[in-house]
Amino acid sequence: MLAYVVRRLWQFVPTMIGVVLLVFFLFSWVGGDPAYLLAGKVSNPEQIENIRRQLGVDQPYTAQLWIFVKQIASGDFGASWSTNEKVSEILATRLGPSLTVLVPLLVISTILAMAAAMLVAYVRASITDRAIMIGCTVGQSISILVYIIVSQYVLAYQFGWFPVQGWGNDFSENLLRYSVLPVIVGVIVSLAPDVRLYRSFFLEEMHQDYVRTARAKGLSETRVMWVHVLRNAAIPIVTNVMIQLPGLLVGAFLIERFFSIPGIGREVILAVERSDFPVLKAVTVYVAIATMIVNLVADLLYKAIDPRVELE
Amino acid sequence: MLRVLVLLALVLPLASGGADPNKVLRVTFQTAETGFDPAKVSDVYSGQVIDAIFEPLLTYDYLARPARLVPNVAESMPVVGDHGRSYTVKLKQGIHFAADPVFKGGKRELTAEDYVYSIKRFLDPRNRSPYAFLFEGKIVGLDEIAVRAKTTGRFDYDAKVAGLEAPDRYTLRIRLRAGDFNFAHLLAFPLVGAVAREAIETYGDDTNSRPVGTGPYLLKKYARSSKIVLEANPGYRGKVWDFSAGDDPRDAQIVARMKGRALPAIGSVEISIMDETQSRWLAFQRAETDIEYQLWEVAPTFMTNDGKLRPEFARRGIWLDRSVDPEITYTYFNMQEYIGDQPNPLAGFSKEKIALRRAIAMAYNVDDQIRIIRKGQATRAQFPIPPGVAGHDPRYRSSIPYDPQLANALLDKFGYRRGPDGYRTRPGGAPLVIRYSSMPTERDRQFDELVKRSLDTIGLRLEIHKERFPELNRLGHQCRLMMRTGAWIADYPDGDNFMQLLYGPNTGQTNSACYRSPEFDRLYEESRSMPDGAERGRLYRQMARLAEVHTVWILGDSRYRNVLLQPRVAGYKKHPVLFSEWLYIDLDTAARK
Amino acid sequence: MSAQAAAFAAGAHAGSRGLWMLAWLRFCRDRVGLVSLIVVAAYFAVVAASGMGWIADEWSKEVGVSYAPPGAMGPDASSAAPAGAAPQARAEVAQDDSGIADPIAGEIAEIRKGLAGISPSETRAATLPFGGDKWGRDVLQKAVKGTQTSVLVGLAAALLAAFLGTLFGAQAGYHGGWVDDFFNWFYSVFTSIPYLLLILAIAAVLNQKGTGTVILILGLTGWTGIFRLVRAEYMKHKVREYVRAADVIGASDARRMFAHILPNVSHVVLVQLSLHVVLFIKSEVVLSFLGFGVGVDTVSWGSMLNEAQNELILGKWWQLAAATAAMAVLVTAFSLLTDALRDALDPRIK
Repeated sequence: MLAYVVRRLWQFVPTMIGVVLLVFFLFSWVGGDPAYLLAGKVSNPEQIENIRRQLGVDQPYTAQLWIFVKQIASGDFGASWSTNEKVSEILATRLGPSLTVLVPLLVISTILAMAAAMLVAYVRASITDRAIMIGCTVGQSISILVYIIVSQYVLAYQFGWFPVQGWGNDFSENLLRYSVLPVIVGVIVSLAPDVRLYRSFFLEEMHQDYVRTARAKGLSETRVMWVHVLRNAAIPIVTNVMIQLPGLLVGAFLIERFFSIPGIGREVILAVERSDFPVLKAVTVYVAIATMIVNLVADLLYKAIDPRVELE
Repeated sequence: MLRVLVLLALVLPLASGGADPNKVLRVTFQTAETGFDPAKVSDVYSGQVIDAIFEPLLTYDYLARPARLVPNVAESMPVVGDHGRSYTVKLKQGIHFAADPVFKGGKRELTAEDYVYSIKRFLDPRNRSPYAFLFEGKIVGLDEIAVRAKTTGRFDYDAKVAGLEAPDRYTLRIRLRAGDFNFAHLLAFPLVGAVAREAIETYGDDTNSRPVGTGPYLLKKYARSSKIVLEANPGYRGKVWDFSAGDDPRDAQIVARMKGRALPAIGSVEISIMDETQSRWLAFQRAETDIEYQLWEVAPTFMTNDGKLRPEFARRGIWLDRSVDPEITYTYFNMQEYIGDQPNPLAGFSKEKIALRRAIAMAYNVDDQIRIIRKGQATRAQFPIPPGVAGHDPRYRSSIPYDPQLANALLDKFGYRRGPDGYRTRPGGAPLVIRYSSMPTERDRQFDELVKRSLDTIGLRLEIHKERFPELNRLGHQCRLMMRTGAWIADYPDGDNFMQLLYGPNTGQTNSACYRSPEFDRLYEESRSMPDGAERGRLYRQMARLAEVHTVWILGDSRYRNVLLQPRVAGYKKHPVLFSEWLYIDLDTAARK
Repeated sequence: MSAQAAAFAAGAHAGSRGLWMLAWLRFCRDRVGLVSLIVVAAYFAVVAASGMGWIADEWSKEVGVSYAPPGAMGPDASSAAPAGAAPQARAEVAQDDSGIADPIAGEIAEIRKGLAGISPSETRAATLPFGGDKWGRDVLQKAVKGTQTSVLVGLAAALLAAFLGTLFGAQAGYHGGWVDDFFNWFYSVFTSIPYLLLILAIAAVLNQKGTGTVILILGLTGWTGIFRLVRAEYMKHKVREYVRAADVIGASDARRMFAHILPNVSHVVLVQLSLHVVLFIKSEVVLSFLGFGVGVDTVSWGSMLNEAQNELILGKWWQLAAATAAMAVLVTAFSLLTDALRDALDPRIK
């Protein structure tokens, strides 16, 4: 077990090198020259040169790459090029709002989706099953952009049930007031695909031998479902949710923009618009690390719960 | 009698004026701010906050139109001498910076040296100030220090600058290299406010989030790119609302409401950053914000076609403040013979090249730009200088009409024949492709569509070139874009700020068309030595006509600024130059719902 | 992901011919699947017709007034904008030339004389069957044209992703060893970078706009899931007897990989392919939001939805509705079809 973890951690190294090289070359080489943005509306070549020197983008690529590597090693990505704010500070302050929306979103949608998936798996091939599955398919077929635009317009504006947008200073206000509609939209969007996926997990489990054995032993159908199937299906579901989280940090930018939530995704879009590479590099590196760790934990979880799983 | 007493009481020095902490003004920015160090930023949103925290020597009369300079921190208007080469300003005494830990509990008085320091900062290479151009090449001896700083890596703030000195504690004397009658506008530019050297040096890289000024507000809470809270500065010297009504009938009402009011009246300003138009509009309608103007895309929901507020909003007591922004939009043609190593089909002063550019300009439907893209919220620009800016000529009419038929006939006449695919070739039969550059945004896509249909009507093949903003700027500075739509908003309300956009030596900086016409340059140089007036106006007309005859630009529009105000906002009138009006307005607590 | 892999990967027992036959029979019993197939086929017919220029060829023509409402609603009374007004008499040249002469004044005066009296007029409809967009283009025609673009983008990108995923997956799963390590490394690098940044980076590398770029962006970023599954299938299959038998008769690696194993795992690829079509059609909308959508000379569902973003508040809901409806019907049908396909191809799970 320990050997496996060590081996996996060791495998992080080449992946990280790949990520670093890819990120570095993509952003330095094709990312555009930030000097022309920072120079403002009137600039002359000397000014551009001055800015490039200050940012260090006039140095040879190898030197810049070395700086980048040192930044990763020290965890200090310097300051944002456009605002001078420390990158670590940016990430620290934007993570809270992102998680305030994402955690409730994932928890609620997972619970709801699990309940629905278990139900439809239990009554598989019935009218209920088919109706819910088709409903999910229809729900899934509408773009997230439409969900956001329409729900903000109808639920927040026309019905006045929620604030249209906004973000406050204290956690409970953010969670109970401003996050509610974004979470609902997020749940609506993720519920349909989750139900479909989790249903397949449940079905997978229900075909396992142990279920048959349990039934043969005369255990009641409810007990089989609630105890055996649920427990086993929960593993892939929980790991699936975990694996989604790092990607969602950046991926929730549509929700964050429309509801003015100062989270990571919105910051990334802003950084892209401003060619603010220190921010982009840091986000990419941290998300990559988070992704790798989460994947490792997920695999370990599998192994811990189901010894039959072979660790590659 | 009582009234006189009240007025007298208000004229007496007031600590923090009448700022009522319960009056909270809620406004929005559609794009995140960058920071509040005056020498480090250039975006208008950061500028609004800086305007409230720092104070320039001069400022503008709140109601006078066109904008009129008035003393702010200065005791009186600067004394201008030596044909616009020398400016001397006396400061008011007893003005203090807002309390801050860097002053170690003491009171820090504002002196002329602070302005010397603040102006020097614009040229310090380490600040990489986007507004360095305001002072570059202007003040005697200042550029030399900047040049030295580039080699030594350190800007010597203690070095004597012959053209920028404080002969005594409250006098600032500036000497310019050449006469410039517009220099006083720079002393009123909101970013040229006084910073305290010790604060800048103490906060180092953090100056963007630790502004310390003498202005009416201080930065209370700051969550970057999300929420900015300003609070009335308790140490502010106070100001009394004392402006006279102009021609606008609304002025009288504002004067009646505000006259004699101790400023600032509003205790705190809460700014939220909201990226999406839908969010801003819905938030305003739900009365979650007090002032909102960034609503161009949805203007028809609250405005009628003739520019009035729709009755259902007027009934709710919402106010519309409408003015024209001091800006122009224009689509420029690259006038350089080569783009990279490719010959540029649009460049040149030969008749056939002029005809090609003229035809494109005639096929471009500015009225549709206004009607469809601007949703009617813009006015057609006829002259390169927009209304509200000195030098604007309201009677001037562009000689280039929208006339695709004429444009087609013109191209036929000069041998741009249509090929079998319906697209025209160059007179010799060589292929002709017009390349139009824009950003990958939804707004720019509308311009792409407009250019596309314009060129389709005259049979010119179009290629859309998409690039992000910094990259487009880079290519533009290098004269490597063929055609692009740009906008210019006044830095100061004088026509020179616009005419310099076509001045040959500004190629590579602001002259993005890379237009070099000896005739234009001669006229421009002549105009620089003159103050605003009829004579300069004559030169400006000639310059405008020259650019038209050569067809360097397709002049677009100037946008209306439609500011929506909740019923409780009092005394608001958009100022064409000031970045923010928060200091001069009030909130009715009674009208609060 | 790996659990999903396990769920999908458990097929392929019988020989390939019989499997496809059985699958088709099973598919025919699935009524929802059949209906979906018909709907999808109808969409493809529309795409083909539009591609051939039989319908919606004139989508970019401005036939109505700006934001012409749908026919059922009647003309818009509030917007009193001059609908089909012909341009006024030809504007005269400015009188005061400030002493600056126009080099082509002579030619223009001549042309003006020739054009005198001719003034073009155009008429525009006050309403359109499904309403008009801001330029007065027919939303129905745009939706049809948008269907063509979006479906093609989805299909082409899915084919590209399936091709890459299968190619890489086959190599990795079949060869194992350092080849497998290499592709796995490549896979983890790709999946570790946030999707949004990957898109932006690839868009920056391609540095071009247009439908082709959208396809490339989606295809080049979307192959990872398919790679994972195909690799697992190949690892399973390469030790099977029929592959060993091929080895004995001296079949080359390439032949064994693509002639022997591929037909046996192709059902996995097929299901993934159709899943990805749906995924990419939806992703195109987000790409458009980010400014990496199709070019200005064409229209897609993504470009329509983005245009319509601010139209809902203006009360002009029809473009949003048209694009959403067109997309929802196809995506639903396609997803149900995929389900039916999976059920038919992989009957163990039901």
